[in-house]
Amino acid sequence: MAAIVRTENLQKVFGRHVHALDGISIIVEEGEYVTVTGRSGSGKSTLMNIIGCLDQPTGGTVEIAGQNVDYSDPEQLVSLRRSKIGFIFQQFSLIPSMTAAENIEYPLIFSGVPGSERKRRTMDMLELVGILDRSDHLPGELSGGQQQRVAISRALVAGPNLVLADEPTGNLDSTTSNEIITLLKQINEEMGTTFLIVTHEPSIWFGTDRTIHLSDGKVVP
Amino acid sequence: MVKMTDVATISFRQVTRKRLRFFLTVLGIAIGVAAVVGVVSLGEGVRSLSVEMIKDQSDLTLLEVNADIRDGVTIPITGQKIADIQRDPGVVGAVPARRITYATERQTFLSAVDAGSAGMQSVFSLTYLDGRSVETGTGEAVFGYDLAETLRRYEGIRIGDRFTLLVRDYDEDGRPADIRHEFLLTGVLRERGDELDRLMITDTGNKDEPFDAVFVRVVSPDVVFPVVDRVEGLGLSAHGAFEQIRAVNKLFDIIVLVLSGFTGISLVIGALMIMNTMIISVFERTREIGISMAIGASSGDILRLILSECFIIGIAGGIIGNLLGIVFAGVINSVGRNVVIAELGAGFSGFAGADIVLVTPGVIISGMAIAIVLSLISGIYPALKASRLHPADAIRSL
Ligand SMILES: Nc1ncnc2c1ncn2[C@@H]1O[C@H](COP(=O)(O)OP(=O)(O)OP(=O)(O)O)[C@@H](O)[C@H]1O
Ligand SMILES: [Mg+2]
Repeated sequence: MAAIVRTENLQKVFGRHVHALDGISIIVEEGEYVTVTGRSGSGKSTLMNIIGCLDQPTGGTVEIAGQNVDYSDPEQLVSLRRSKIGFIFQQFSLIPSMTAAENIEYPLIFSGVPGSERKRRTMDMLELVGILDRSDHLPGELSGGQQQRVAISRALVAGPNLVLADEPTGNLDSTTSNEIITLLKQINEEMGTTFLIVTHEPSIWFGTDRTIHLSDGKVVP
Repeated sequence: MVKMTDVATISFRQVTRKRLRFFLTVLGIAIGVAAVVGVVSLGEGVRSLSVEMIKDQSDLTLLEVNADIRDGVTIPITGQKIADIQRDPGVVGAVPARRITYATERQTFLSAVDAGSAGMQSVFSLTYLDGRSVETGTGEAVFGYDLAETLRRYEGIRIGDRFTLLVRDYDEDGRPADIRHEFLLTGVLRERGDELDRLMITDTGNKDEPFDAVFVRVVSPDVVFPVVDRVEGLGLSAHGAFEQIRAVNKLFDIIVLVLSGFTGISLVIGALMIMNTMIISVFERTREIGISMAIGASSGDILRLILSECFIIGIAGGIIGNLLGIVFAGVINSVGRNVVIAELGAGFSGFAGADIVLVTPGVIISGMAIAIVLSLISGIYPALKASRLHPADAIRSL
């Protein structure tokens, strides 16, 4: 198995004194389903943002799908975000003025996928996550769980190798959380997509290949 | 890169999300456009009214072409140039002429034109109150109506009389030595209401002296300006009633410019409103923009999306502004017409039914262009601000 993510001695210092990441070296293999845990402020979101090319490290290196990420090259960052990486955030990450289907289609517009192809893939995704009947609803008209299903579809629609999910069930009740977790695991198994999931909830540990535990910006062995 | 149709769809959705805000912002720029359209239409209306009056009251198709002085060099009227003018497709007739100033023995000064009588006939369509036209190469002369009146009264010259006119000249020592010419008055013209009323017309048939004028009759008022351009292209100068139109146009260019400059202030306010709205809108959507970047939007995509929103505001502002402007112009027309006609007096009562505003296609197109360009300019700062957002920070916000 090839490594989809490889970080080497990753550092992130905010201002002068906040060492959000302090020498993180991790490897995530293709097809893995990995959770990231740790106390609040331990650096989980910071790590996800850097791996997801949304933020740049102050030290160390990151490799995504064999490519060394050059954080000073916006074009490479955009192209990685478009084709290799999918993001799932906590709730309220959908564009409120777009319907469920349009939200899912949105990333494909930026990658220049033709309209008919976009529609087809969007329908596939809606079916996959089981909300085909809600395709024309605005996010405000959907339940939290349904919204996250749309967000999952949006993260997957461009066929990324790696999906980064930062507390995807953070605002959901436990039943709905479980449904979402089951869905993510199912996608991981059926499509072979690599998942890196930040969570506070122990329940998600079930079914994970591995848990990376962070504390004060370091990996706890 | 995002396709323009997709950009348009997305930004249309975004910009109309907050309907009232969109409407008010559009109204801001629309009122500015309406003010400019209304005021410029008034300017254009009065301009065209004035031009119509000039056309109505003067002989627009008559030109007098003269030698011109350019860079200190006199450009003479050569035979070649006369032929060029006569061949011009916009010219019906052109007759070369010499202007001469004579004095009678009793020191009454009079202006005369020495030109071929057939040519004069074709350019001026002369009609005679009395007598007949001159014959070429004779000392015969015809008087304009006013001149005939004056000379009959003060000099006693009537048709069939011979009379003497003097041309001032100087001898070798520089003393005045007038040259005497004998003429026979053969006819008097009907009153015309133009310069010819005060002129004497002769036809000496002189081929040696250069000509200093060409009288030109143009096919129709519409082709006067092209003909003038071609004449001026020959290095000659042209004069005639068209110069009044030129002067009026120049004056109105300035008036319209100044007026639209004043009303343009409301456009500045409209533009500031757009800028304000877009800054707020970008600020509110900070997280949304961050998420768009996370799922694949480049800085350029964000820039295009925001500018496209401004473009939509501009188009809406242009359309509504033009509509309001047309309404505004209509109000000015119905309210202002009576006032203007009353001010101008009875002489212009013929224009009582005319419009004092003129909404030209140019005004409408400019209104549209101004609205779009101003909206885009106002959007540059908010769009740049949005496109330079740091994705991680943007997502963290709110
Ligand atoms: N933009 C920033 N500026 C300054 N400090 C920051 C910034 N982002 C994060 N930090 C700091 O970095 C540290 C790690 O933050 P991070 O958001 O990664 O934690 P986390 O593990 O995701 O926490 P939580 O579980 O609460 O989401 C914290 O001390 C935080 O205050
Ligand atoms: Mg976090």
